[in-house]
Amino acid sequence: MSAVARPPSSWPFRGSAALRVLAALYLAGVWLDGTGTGIPARILPRAPNYFLQVAALFPRSAVASIDYRAEAFVCRERAWREIDTRPYFPIDRDDKENRFDRVMHFFRENRKTMNALDAYLVERHDAGEAEDGIQGRIGGVRFLSLRIPIPPPGSRLERTVRRPLSAYPDDERTFFYHTPSSRLRERCGLAGEDAR
Amino acid sequence: MVDSWLDQPVSTLRIEVARICAPLAVLGFMSSRLQHADEWIGNGGFRVPDLDGDWRQPIFVPALDSWAAWLVAAVLVVSGIACVLGIKTRWAAFVFAACLAFVALSDRLAAYTVSKLSPAVMLAVAFGGAGSRWSVDAYLDRKRRGGEEPSRARQPSGAVRFLQLLPVVMYSASGIAKVRGDWLHDPLVLWSHIHDSYQTLVSFALGSVLPSWAWTALQACVLAFEVLAPLWFGFSRTRTAAFVFGVGMHVMIGLMFGPVRWLALLMITLLVSGYLPDGILEWRGRASKVAPSLLE
Repeated sequence: MSAVARPPSSWPFRGSAALRVLAALYLAGVWLDGTGTGIPARILPRAPNYFLQVAALFPRSAVASIDYRAEAFVCRERAWREIDTRPYFPIDRDDKENRFDRVMHFFRENRKTMNALDAYLVERHDAGEAEDGIQGRIGGVRFLSLRIPIPPPGSRLERTVRRPLSAYPDDERTFFYHTPSSRLRERCGLAGEDAR
Repeated sequence: MVDSWLDQPVSTLRIEVARICAPLAVLGFMSSRLQHADEWIGNGGFRVPDLDGDWRQPIFVPALDSWAAWLVAAVLVVSGIACVLGIKTRWAAFVFAACLAFVALSDRLAAYTVSKLSPAVMLAVAFGGAGSRWSVDAYLDRKRRGGEEPSRARQPSGAVRFLQLLPVVMYSASGIAKVRGDWLHDPLVLWSHIHDSYQTLVSFALGSVLPSWAWTALQACVLAFEVLAPLWFGFSRTRTAAFVFGVGMHVMIGLMFGPVRWLALLMITLLVSGYLPDGILEWRGRASKVAPSLLE
C-alpha cells in the first residue's frame, strides 16, 4: 500500500483530536435530534441545534394536501377577493417551498408575524408593483389553508395544479388570520361603517 | 480500533468527488434563491420580525441592505465555483461554508435540509485537504514541480470518514424517526406524499399505474434500508448493494418530488464520495490494486 505525501492543500489541523471530537459530536447530534430524543435541543443554543435538524424527513403520512392562500379586502367593492401572493414571494413561486407557504407553515399562529405579513402585502399591493389579480386599494387580508383530501390508491389521479380559491368547497378552507376590522376601516377610509 | 480505521489510507479522489459535486448540488438548490437575493436575505422582501426567542426562529438576523445581499450572493457563487474548480480550494470551501451558514440562519423560510447540511459538508471538504487532484491547484502545483506528479493516490482522511458516516447516521436517525412516526402502522405513507406541489410527471405517472401494495412494498424497502443502514454499510458484503440501493432511492426521490432533487443530488454525492467501489473510482487504475475494501 502506498502511503504518500500530503497534498499541497492539506490542512494543519487535519486529523487532529479536536476535529475528530467535533465531528463525532456533530454526528451524534444529528442522530440524537433525528431520532426525536430532544437532547440536542435541551443542551445547545438554538442556532447550532438548528444545523443538526437534518435527518427526520417525512416521518408522518400526509393527512391532506395543504396549500396556503390569501384574500384581500377590496375597499371599493367592500368584498373579499383572492389575492395572488406569488408576485411578492418570487422564490420557488409555484411550489410549497415558496416563502409565503413557509411563513404560513411555521408562523400562522404567531400574531406578530401575521401582522407583519398583513402590512407587507397591503403595502406591496398598494404600491402597484405587480399584477396580483386585484385592482384598486385593499384594506387588509385574511389567510387560510386549503386541506385538499388525498385520493385513495387506485382511484383516478388528477395532476396537481393550482386552481383559484373559488374552485374549492368551504369545508376544505380553514381561516386563521384576518386584519382587525378597525384597521380595515382605517385603511379603506370607512370610519364608522361595518367592514366585515 | 477507531483510530486505526480513521488513519487507514483512502483514495484521495473521494474528497475530490465531494469537492466537485457537493457545491454543484448546493448551488443548484440555491439558484432559485440567488436570483432573488434581495428578497431572500435583503430588505426587498418579507422578513419575519424578531420573535424574541421563539423556538421557530433559531436566531434573528436583520435584513441586509440590497447591495450587501447581492454581495453575499456573489461571494457564495464565486466561492462555490472556485471550490468546484479547485482554485485556492481550502479557502474557497471555508468561505462557501460560511456563506451557506449565514444564509441558512438569515432566512428560516427558504432554508431546508440542504441549507443546514451543506456547511458541515463543505467544512469537511475544507479540512480534508481537497484540491490535490482534478483541480487548478493541482495543475499549478504540478507545473511548479516541473511536470513531476507527486504520488497522491491514497492517504488517511478523517474528512472522508466523516463523509462516509454522515449519510449512514442520517439514514439511521431518519429510519428511527419513521418508526416512531407513521411508517409502521400506515401502509400508505409514501402514497400520501405525492399529491401536493412536489408532484412531478414521474410521481403522477407512478401514482396512476402502481397498485396500492406496490407503495407499501416501496415503503417497507425504504424503512428497512434506513433503519438498518449501519449494518448495510458496515459489513463489506452488503456495502456495495447498500450503495446501489441508496443511489437508486435518491434518484427516485429526485424524480418524484420536484424541489427535493437538490437534496437527492447532495445525498448521491455523499454516497458516491464515500462508497463508490475503489475499482470504479480509480478507473485509471492508480489505486485499484490496493483497495480491497473501503472500511477494512
